[in-house]
Order: sequence, then structure tokens, then C-alpha cells
Amino acid sequence: MSALVECRGLTRVYHKGDQEIRPLDELDLDVDEGTFTALMGPSGSGKTTLLNLVAGIDRATSGTLRVEGVELGALSNTELARWRAHTIGYVFQLYHLVPVLTAYENVELPLLLRDDTRRERHRKVAAALELVGLADRHDHFPRQLSGGQEQRVALARAIVTDPRIIVADEPTGDLDAAAADAILDLLGALRRELGKTLLMVTHDPRAAAHADRVIHLEKGRIVAAAAATS
Amino acid sequence: MKLLPWDYGVRNLLRAPGRTALGAGGVALVTALLVTAAAFVRGMNGSLAETGGLRNVILLGAGSEDSVERSEVKAGVAGIVAASVPGIEERLGVPYVSPEINVALVVNVDGQERQASFRGVTDAAYLVHPQVRIVEGRAPRAGELLVGRFAAARLDVPDERLAVGRSVDIDGRPWTIAGRFEAPGTVLDAEIWCDAQELRVATRRETLSGIVLTLADDAQTDDLDLFTKQRLDLELVALPERGYYARLHDFLAPVRAMVWTTALLVAGAALLGGIDTMHASFAARIRELATLRALGFANGAIALSLVQEALLTAALGALVGAACVLPLDGLAVRVSMGAFGLRVDGTALALGLGAACGVGLLGSLPAAWRCLRMELVAALRAD
Ligand SMILES: Nc1ncnc2c1ncn2[C@@H]1O[C@H](COP(=O)(O)OP(=O)(O)OP(=O)(O)O)[C@@H](O)[C@H]1O
Ligand SMILES: [Mg+2]
Repeated sequence: MSALVECRGLTRVYHKGDQEIRPLDELDLDVDEGTFTALMGPSGSGKTTLLNLVAGIDRATSGTLRVEGVELGALSNTELARWRAHTIGYVFQLYHLVPVLTAYENVELPLLLRDDTRRERHRKVAAALELVGLADRHDHFPRQLSGGQEQRVALARAIVTDPRIIVADEPTGDLDAAAADAILDLLGALRRELGKTLLMVTHDPRAAAHADRVIHLEKGRIVAAAAATS
Repeated sequence: MKLLPWDYGVRNLLRAPGRTALGAGGVALVTALLVTAAAFVRGMNGSLAETGGLRNVILLGAGSEDSVERSEVKAGVAGIVAASVPGIEERLGVPYVSPEINVALVVNVDGQERQASFRGVTDAAYLVHPQVRIVEGRAPRAGELLVGRFAAARLDVPDERLAVGRSVDIDGRPWTIAGRFEAPGTVLDAEIWCDAQELRVATRRETLSGIVLTLADDAQTDDLDLFTKQRLDLELVALPERGYYARLHDFLAPVRAMVWTTALLVAGAALLGGIDTMHASFAARIRELATLRALGFANGAIALSLVQEALLTAALGALVGAACVLPLDGLAVRVSMGAFGLRVDGTALALGLGAACGVGLLGSLPAAWRCLRMELVAALRAD
């Protein structure tokens, strides 16, 4: 059986003036369904770039990327947008909450792209906020939340659509140890109980320990891959 | 296409109330200007289009079809016409035949010399010009004047200066104002009326300018045409009164063109400014817009929400702008040929409001497009 995510010779090149930046360089990577993979590496090593490609919000310069058997490079922008709305939950490194919307409305946003009724949406949003421990913060605007709470709203927004793949860019970066553990336990449970496939960027070895596999990136290449010890 | 919640746009307007107020203020100015321009043109056009009675015919001296002020008709002709042309309206045996003298005279108001349009009339004038309503005082007798409601504007003097009981000098002789009239939406509003006989004496002229008559309901102009052809000795030409004023309308085409050009230039400048303002406002939210795209919202849905924001702002500004110029309705405006009232009517308002929404739409679309065509990951990283 082939992997859920299949990267072959994946390369991303940015041009800044006449300078060429290559955050991903001929990367080969397979991620199996129902696994929890941690991505580590120094700043600028291409972790976010890889997540963006897998999540379908960026396009590779060369190489192929197949997710669920779909060749992402072959989709039009509109098809890609629809695909990611149904397949991917993304926890952004900088949360990217919409400031004029409440926590509840932020989490509801991706559901508006589906055919859920208002009631179904309410049930799902309430459940997601409950899962991240923010059941009492429905009506708070992002500016009324702490950094850690914002991060948890971002996680709730990523899981509310029940996506097959969750990508998270340092989802515990702004949390204290206890809150971070709660989130990592939640991610672990999503994998164990619901069979989600998780791809998480982290700088924190303790967070990486929750994953089944840790991949180290450096200058856009994999330098080491190991099964996690825990 | 799945849309963003309607109130997302509204909340964004409230997020930066200063910017919203500024944008709406700009639109308000443009709307006020456009409505005023439209009210000006409509007032001017309307006064010319509605002056002539539908069944009125004006008899002028042959060769003076373009200007009643240059026309000369012998004094006795009115009686001949009344007696020999069939099909003229009458009431209680009085035929609707009004001999008139139209002349531009210099009036001395407190030492200031001013040009005014005079119409020397008889009692029949009130029959053939039913729009004229004396609103104060009475019809003029010897040495008296009846002034239209915009006559003061035409003379460029304050309205009170032409109040009933005051007087002005013509040719060194004082004339007292006996009454005031209004004839809404017509050029008559800017005129000064007096007795035709008196005016002939004062201007030392032998002739009339023309004769205005009203035909009976079913009458045709054929009889009149026949009359003017049979009585070549009278040297008359018959024109429908509406047609006469419609010709004046053509002479004013350059004035209208100038008004519209100015209004369009200002609206165009406002549009360019609007595109810039809206782009700045959208660009400030570039990361947020990118987030919506990343979540899977189509560019079209996001653009629609941005356009909705702009249209709301524009509509708000347009209402304020329109409300500000509403009181200008009926305000007297002086132009070289006379004076008329601004006409802030439904058409003028619709034009201003429509143009404002056009500015909102045309201004926001390119701004939205510039923000949304940016590469998604680059927009997500923007600060
Ligand atoms: N849109 C872009 N345009 C230009 N350069 C980019 C763009 N996105 C990423 N880069 C560059 O690519 C390199 C890798 O960026 P990336 O965000 O993937 O790093 P990262 O591993 O996530 O780092 P960090 O741990 O700091 O988040 C960096 O040098 C970055 O400046
Ligand atoms: Mg990163």
C-alpha cells in the first residue's frame, strides 16, 4: 500500500531579486496514514515550506507531491482550494485568527465552506472548543485571548472539519508545559482514536517525543529520520 | 461558491472607523457634487422644456424666429388675430390672445445697474400662462412691477430688495413692486412683468415683440399657418411655444457640457483616490485575507466581501452627501440668460447615488484584485 503523503524530489525555489533561495531541495518523504510525524530543524531549514506544500497552499517548483493519491501539482487553484478545505486542517505558526471574528466564529469559518446546517456547525464548533479547553471562551475576540489561548483556537479551527490530515506549525510554541502537554495529548488521541495523520513542526524535543517519527531537516534536506523513543 | 458571513464586512468597517468615515466623507462630497450638477442641468432643462404651454403658439415677426427679444409685431395685430383666427381658446368671451413685449432692460437698484428680463403684458397673459400664480400683492398697474421669484437672483440682489412696496429705477423713473409671482419650473420665474402699454411708452417702441395664444383643445395649427400665409402683410411666423423654448435649450448645450465635464472629472479623480484608499485598507489586512484563502475560500467570495464593504461605505457616504444637498432644491441660480431653480429631484438623487455606488464598485474591484492575486504563501508571511 502506498503512503498517504508521497514526496519525490520535492523542490521549492524562491527568488528574492537575483538571489535564489531553495528552502526545499530534492526532498523524498513518505508519510503513512494514521501516523504522527514531527519535523525538526534549525530556523530557515524549510519546515514551514514543506507543510505549506503538503497542505496545498503552496506549489512545488519541481518534483512530485501526491496526497491521498492526488497529484497536487495537477490541480487548478480552485480545485486545490476545495481539496484543502476538505482534507487538511492547518494550525499556522502565527495562528492567523481573523481579528473581527470571535473564537466561535473563527472556528466556524472552515465549516462555512461545507454544507453543514447551522445546528451541525454549532455542535461541531462547541465540541472543538471543548476539546482544546476553551468551552468558556466562545464570545472572546482574539485580542481578548492570551497567546496560548489563540493557539488553541487555531487548533480547534484546524480540527473542526474532521480533516484526514492535520498539519501544525509549532502548535505548542506559546504554551506552558502543562498546556502544551494537554495539546500534545489531544493530538496523540486524534491519531490513536480517530486515525488522523499528523505532521507537526516543533523545536521542542519534549513535544517531538509525542510523535511516532521525528524527521530532521537542514537546508531543505532530510538529515536524519528516526522512530521516536517514547 | 461558499460566501463569507455578511457581517464580516460590516465588522471590518467598524474595525477602522476613522478610515471608514474618511472614505464615506469622500463619497459624500462626490455625491453632493454630482447631485448638484444634475440638479443644475435638470433645473435648466426643465425650465426651458416646461415654459411653453402644450397648446400655446407664439406669433413672432418673420425672420426673428430665434429671439423673441429681436422680434417686432405691429401693435394692432393681436386684435386682428383674435377676430380672424378660428379655434382659439376663450373663456367668458375673452380670447386667449396675449400681446407681449419681451425686452432686456437696465434696472437701477440703489445705484447699481443690472440687466433684467421684462415682459410687458395685458390681462390675457395670465390666461395663456396658467403656471403664473401671483403669490403676494396684485397684478401691476401704471408704474408698477410684478416680479418673479427668481428675479432677484437674476438681478443679483437679495430677495428682500424686490419685496412688495419697494421700488427700482428704470431710465431714471421709479417703479414700485406691486406683487410677486411664481411659475415653478419655467423661465418666467426670473422675469419682471409690467403693463405692456407702460412698457411700450417707457422703451419708446411702437411694436410688440410677439403674441402668445392658446388653441382650443381640438384645434390644429393649420388655421394659424393659413392665416400667416394669407396675411403676408403682417409678416408673422407661428411657432409652437414649446418648440421656441426647446431651441433655446440647444443654445445652452455648451453650458451643460461644461457642467457635466467638470462633474465627471471630479468623479474620476475621486475614483482614482478611492482605488488607492481601498487598496491601502485591504493591503493592511493582507495576511487575514490570505488566511481565508488558505482555509479554502474562493478569491471570488473574498472579493465579494471586500466589494460589499466598499459598497456599504459608498452607500453611507452617498446618503450623507445627498442629504446635505437636499435643501438646495429650488435654490435660485443665475446664468447669463436668466435664472432658474436647482431641481434636486428623484432623477438627480438617483444619479448621484448610482454614481457613488459605481465609485465603490469600480474602486474596490481593482484594489481587491491586487491583494488577492498575490502569491498565497507570500501573503501569509506579509506583515
Ligand atoms: N514566500 C517566500 N519568499 C521568499 N523566501 C521565502 C518564502 N518563504 C520562505 N522563504 C525562505 O525560505 C527559507 C525557509 O523558510 P521556512 O519558513 O520554510 O523555514 P522554517 O524551517 O519554517 O523556519 P522557522 O523555524 O524559523 O519557522 C527561509 O530562508 C525563508 O526566508
Ligand atoms: Mg516556520
